[in-house]
Amino acid sequence: MTPGRILALQTATILACLALWEGAARIWGGPYSVMPSVSAVLADMVANHAALARGILRTLTETVLGFAAGAAFGFLAGAAFAQFRLLERLLLPLLVVSQTVPVIAFGALVVIWFGNGILSKVVIAFYLTFFPVTVNTLRGLMSVDPQRVDLMRSFGASAWTLFWRLRLPFALPAIMASLLLGVSLSLVGAIVGEWFGDTVGLGIMLVQAMYAENMPRLWSVVVACGVLGAGLYGILAAIERRFVWWGREL
Amino acid sequence: MTDPASDAIIELAGISRTFGGGAGRVVAIDGVDLRVGRGEFVTLVGPSGCGKSTLFNIAAGLADADPGGEIRFGGQRHAGRDLLGRVSFMPQRDLLLPWRRVIDNAILALEVEGMRRADARARALAMMPEFGLAGFERHYPHQLSGGMRQRVALIRTFLFERDLMLLDEPFGALDALTRTMMQRWLLDVWQRHRRSILFITHDVDEAIFLGDRVVVMTARPGRIKLDVAVDLPRPRPAHVATSAGFLRIKSALLDAIEEESMKSFTMAGH
Repeated sequence: MTPGRILALQTATILACLALWEGAARIWGGPYSVMPSVSAVLADMVANHAALARGILRTLTETVLGFAAGAAFGFLAGAAFAQFRLLERLLLPLLVVSQTVPVIAFGALVVIWFGNGILSKVVIAFYLTFFPVTVNTLRGLMSVDPQRVDLMRSFGASAWTLFWRLRLPFALPAIMASLLLGVSLSLVGAIVGEWFGDTVGLGIMLVQAMYAENMPRLWSVVVACGVLGAGLYGILAAIERRFVWWGREL
Repeated sequence: MTDPASDAIIELAGISRTFGGGAGRVVAIDGVDLRVGRGEFVTLVGPSGCGKSTLFNIAAGLADADPGGEIRFGGQRHAGRDLLGRVSFMPQRDLLLPWRRVIDNAILALEVEGMRRADARARALAMMPEFGLAGFERHYPHQLSGGMRQRVALIRTFLFERDLMLLDEPFGALDALTRTMMQRWLLDVWQRHRRSILFITHDVDEAIFLGDRVVVMTARPGRIKLDVAVDLPRPRPAHVATSAGFLRIKSALLDAIEEESMKSFTMAGH
């Protein structure tokens, strides 16, 4: 089957499922049913588009900032641990312990420390992102085949050259995998962070819709969250396919 | 008159290497004396585990020998690590970097030396036809056959222009036909560039066909057991392998290797 035909079939399958959903909701659902119809959700998205766009923009900003900070910190920490093994022995256990506390447990604390604004959400998104990036950077850098290191050394390579020409490219597929995980976690962090108090953002819109028992609204925000998550993941996955494709060849 | 000893590119005298201590102590090589003359092609054969690779790592400066031995490189005495960057070393596996195109794998050593990328590429490009890689410059390693990958590794080794090349079973993983082609081709390239080569192999025919001298190592601990000059005229045609001179050397080598292989076999089997 050609890729075009597969795509057409996939689209048709999705449309069929939506039609089924629409039909089922119309037959069994009422205005306050737990499953609003697809058309009701779409209608709400259109009617509420300004607030939805504002919410998406806010949550996107929190996610991207927290992700960028977490990725940068995670990479630097992983690279430092790989270079200075004593540092790893001293600090990595602390990072592991920090990750055993579920983020919800100290969300309130973060809000008190960093205020009710965007910063506290960025911090939570950061907290969820940096750890997988640290671990994968460390693992990736350490897993370089010693024979390759020997070959580079026989050319007279310095530690610096070894890092840039060998270790880093070798570790990139592992780092990239952690970034894909990290961006999804970062979005979770931003949404959950908003639950602890805010006025704008998809997370707070979810809570408001829940208390108002506004089912079409709840679903339209869920869809927005899904689109946001898929979009961020898709961008990173495209970058991986284009620029860091050699994971299988190592 | 020049002293013949100073005409050697590398001379190892009394080189040993011991791993571990106490009950787990392993003597990998023990008092090896080995000399490679300028422009000479020396092949090294021996049973597996005889410490050939250890010897290579020492000659490349990647590992230190036990104190007491002496390494002379270009007539001067050196500690092992000084040799890093002075010997062109090719390990058994091609170890190409999968994220670099053929041309950029070829220039890896030049880049490490600090040559400008454009200059390095121009030099590599000029050598591609000689290595049978013309037209494949922009391929990635995973798009190449085993024989071609090995040639990329060889061009990388050749471009790192050092007087001594250490080749560790470069054709070991290739099928017999490709291997024969690569041997003929290597001799051809060597005769034009006249580097000194120390070449490890398992294959006695290969060792005789290529070498000016064949050196046989003993089973662990590795020592030099035999050092035979191959007095066959060059260029050597493929059918040299059936000549009387070739067979005479071969039978001497096989006797020595079999004796050593039996030793390492019974050692491993106890």
